Amino acid sequence: MLRAKPNDRPVDVGRRVKNEVEIVLGQRKLLQRLVPGLMHAFIFWGFLVLFPTIVMAMIAAVDKHAELPWLGHQTWFGWMVDLFVVLVFAGVVTAVVIRKAVRPARFDGSHRGEADFILLLIAVVVVTLLCWHAAAHAAGLNDHVGPLSALLAKAFPSHGHAERVFVWAHLAVVFGFLRYLPHSKHLHIATAGINVWLARTSRPGRLEPLRFDVPDAELRFGASTIFDLTKKEVMDAFSCTECGRCQDACPAYATGKILSPKLLIMGVRDQVFAQSTGPIVGNGVPEQMIWDCVTCGACVEACPVSIEHIDHIVDLRRSRVMVDSAFPAEAEPMLRDVERAGNPWGKPQTERAAWAEELGVRVLEPGDPAPEYLYWVGCAASFDERAKKSAESTAKLLQKAGVDFAILGPRESCTGDPARRMGNEYVFQAHAEQNIATLKENNVQKIVASCPHCFNTLANEYGDFGGNYEVLHHTELLSQLVEDGRLKPAAGTQSITYHDSCYLARHNDVRMEPRKLLNVIGQPVEMTRSGKQTFCCGAGGAHMWMEEKGKPINVERATEAVGTGAETLAVACPFCTVMLDDGVRETGAKMRVADVSTLLVESLDA
Amino acid sequence: MSVLVFVEPDDELSLQALSFARQLGDVQAVSVDGDYAPAAWAAAVAGAAGGADAIVAAGSDRGNELLAHVAARLDQPFAANVTSIDGDVVTRVRWGGSLLEEARLHGSPRILSVAPHTFAADPAAASTPVEQIAVPAHADMSVRVIGRVEESSGGVSLRDAKVVVGGGRGVGSSEAFAIIEELAGLLGGAVGCSRVVTSAGWRPHADQVGQTGTKISADLYVACGISGATQHIAGAKGAKKILAINSDPEAPIFASADYGVVGDLHEIVPAISAELRRVRGS
Repeated sequence: MLRAKPNDRPVDVGRRVKNEVEIVLGQRKLLQRLVPGLMHAFIFWGFLVLFPTIVMAMIAAVDKHAELPWLGHQTWFGWMVDLFVVLVFAGVVTAVVIRKAVRPARFDGSHRGEADFILLLIAVVVVTLLCWHAAAHAAGLNDHVGPLSALLAKAFPSHGHAERVFVWAHLAVVFGFLRYLPHSKHLHIATAGINVWLARTSRPGRLEPLRFDVPDAELRFGASTIFDLTKKEVMDAFSCTECGRCQDACPAYATGKILSPKLLIMGVRDQVFAQSTGPIVGNGVPEQMIWDCVTCGACVEACPVSIEHIDHIVDLRRSRVMVDSAFPAEAEPMLRDVERAGNPWGKPQTERAAWAEELGVRVLEPGDPAPEYLYWVGCAASFDERAKKSAESTAKLLQKAGVDFAILGPRESCTGDPARRMGNEYVFQAHAEQNIATLKENNVQKIVASCPHCFNTLANEYGDFGGNYEVLHHTELLSQLVEDGRLKPAAGTQSITYHDSCYLARHNDVRMEPRKLLNVIGQPVEMTRSGKQTFCCGAGGAHMWMEEKGKPINVERATEAVGTGAETLAVACPFCTVMLDDGVRETGAKMRVADVSTLLVESLDA
Repeated sequence: MSVLVFVEPDDELSLQALSFARQLGDVQAVSVDGDYAPAAWAAAVAGAAGGADAIVAAGSDRGNELLAHVAARLDQPFAANVTSIDGDVVTRVRWGGSLLEEARLHGSPRILSVAPHTFAADPAAASTPVEQIAVPAHADMSVRVIGRVEESSGGVSLRDAKVVVGGGRGVGSSEAFAIIEELAGLLGGAVGCSRVVTSAGWRPHADQVGQTGTKISADLYVACGISGATQHIAGAKGAKKILAINSDPEAPIFASADYGVVGDLHEIVPAISAELRRVRGS
């Protein structure tokens, strides 16, 4: 931990306290799954409530007549102890049922035996506590016990030997537990709270930038060995409980890829524990694992102890790409084209505004005064035939609503997002600086973006390089325009299911605006995995430009969408459009895939 | 001006480099014995340079690698892929051919490679005597050619094929690719496919045309049942002409195609093959 690299995060004490209250004390992430959540919450809250009993037992072990001041003779506390002994025991029983009878797949690859042993220890801790209280009550040493202890006391003799046995047994198990803790996944008792404190408090979609303008000793090119990890990454490794919620949520894992976010973190942890000097990739973490990730963030969202898996993936990729130049060969043209041509397909920049010519969209020249909104079209909507429709629709809608907007045309270049998620921070930062300079030439303040990836980069990441804007996604602006009565869509009857983009819903919490629009123009049907629990289309993390080995993620998602029986699958991202359109074709269903903006335009024309 | 030129036997690009060098002054052409080993060959070439004013080679992968080693060995700058030289100002090709850069080349000797296919080979250059030189004893052989493996390809390579016939989802199955193969065979071309086809396992990844597959440079690309995702077009845009056959008139491929046929490829492709046979038969 001492040798780990610093993180680049705001102090933000208020939000950190809030996270501690919600995620640690309130068990918010755990309670996303009700039964296992309550099971853990009972044990955890029990641990908090029963903590003073350890001190009480230590005092009693030395002098059985001594008591902890005040709390030691509060009858209500005795009742609390009894209550939580029962709840903890119930929690342990539930955990055993889950692990032994239900056997969810999320535990695949976890150390099951270790967990069983810990559960046994917890059970013994509370049972010996209960017996100690009962025996003490029977011996007349404790008049402040709860009803269960009092009832049980009838089974104990009054001479007090049993009290000695159980107080020592209780302490022996507690100390044994503490001794075992640092070597097990239960280290999270000590580390999870710290990890939650260190976690992101804002801008979840932001990757921490690498700084290239620092002295050589501080230079960092992602992570090759454990000594390159940031403090948060090391803490992540210490905090993993192997619960597998991340694995359950991971689209790569769900489609049979090698990646399991859980095994990734366990691999990093094993390297940290071993103080390994070798590269993490190839030792603790198989190479393919880091390339399978779509950076959708489902794992991060699911993790009860605020592990941020994407940071590990991206840091490992950075080292592979920038130091070793070793990455999937098929992604090389994308990196080269982003770097040289300014877009990931190597299309001529001069054709970037071709879609807008017929519509008469204003193209900003250097020095032109800023429009109210700069429309950041993005490469996909500029060049891809299918994705272009969303740009055309958005432009038409903005024109219809009388919004003062313009595009950059050939001066817009890739935001650098795919290069950054691929691990090439150089190319990303070069593009960030260039785009920020371009935006400055026109004094742009407000941006509306079509692509959630551009949106995330402009809103959350350009700030690190001096580019601060008010950024909206087109669904946000369009929803606002409808609310203000500047666009008047006609109510429709078609059934529509909406696919949340990871970089909108999960990374940026834009969930309601597209739905508001769809509620007006059609009959929404929700997929099971929606909102923050959405399932990736398969294109994120530069996967648009990588080959997928095995079952495709887009087909998995398209199958889910088709299963809703809706006529239309609405999307709000050009990459989702392409991926899911392909996916739906693969299923053979006759479902239409269209951007929310396109559906909105049609409802106005209707 | 005396110029040392590194040439490889039977190599068109070496002849071009030699012709370029003959314009600069007196040429001494050398070629190195034995199997290629960049550091060792560079030692040999640098050793042969003596008091030469310039060292020139073809701007091929090997020529550029060799001269980079020579430059490092002599601690001199190296200008790669030069198209012309005037005094100490060279014009060289940058960014994969999209830029020409004028640069001042310092150093003695001047070390430069000649951009391929920018300078026609002078027939007279072919008769230049080539001196065979040997690598010095104890030269660094840590990187060397230890064997050669022929690329196993049944027929024309996708990258270099003059005609590529590509199939997409519309082809329908691995077996149905027979009609695509037939047309490709008749046209003396190679078979390509889209990503969907590779994902479905109908064709190997080696056949994939696109951003993440092979970028083709054919005179004619016949895209059959391919919708034309940007990914695919990125690999096909090097083709001089694109003929698209697709049953969906809205398919994006038509935006990139020079010729388009809206219809079922399972009828149209065999019909083209039959017509080719008929024309050739008559």
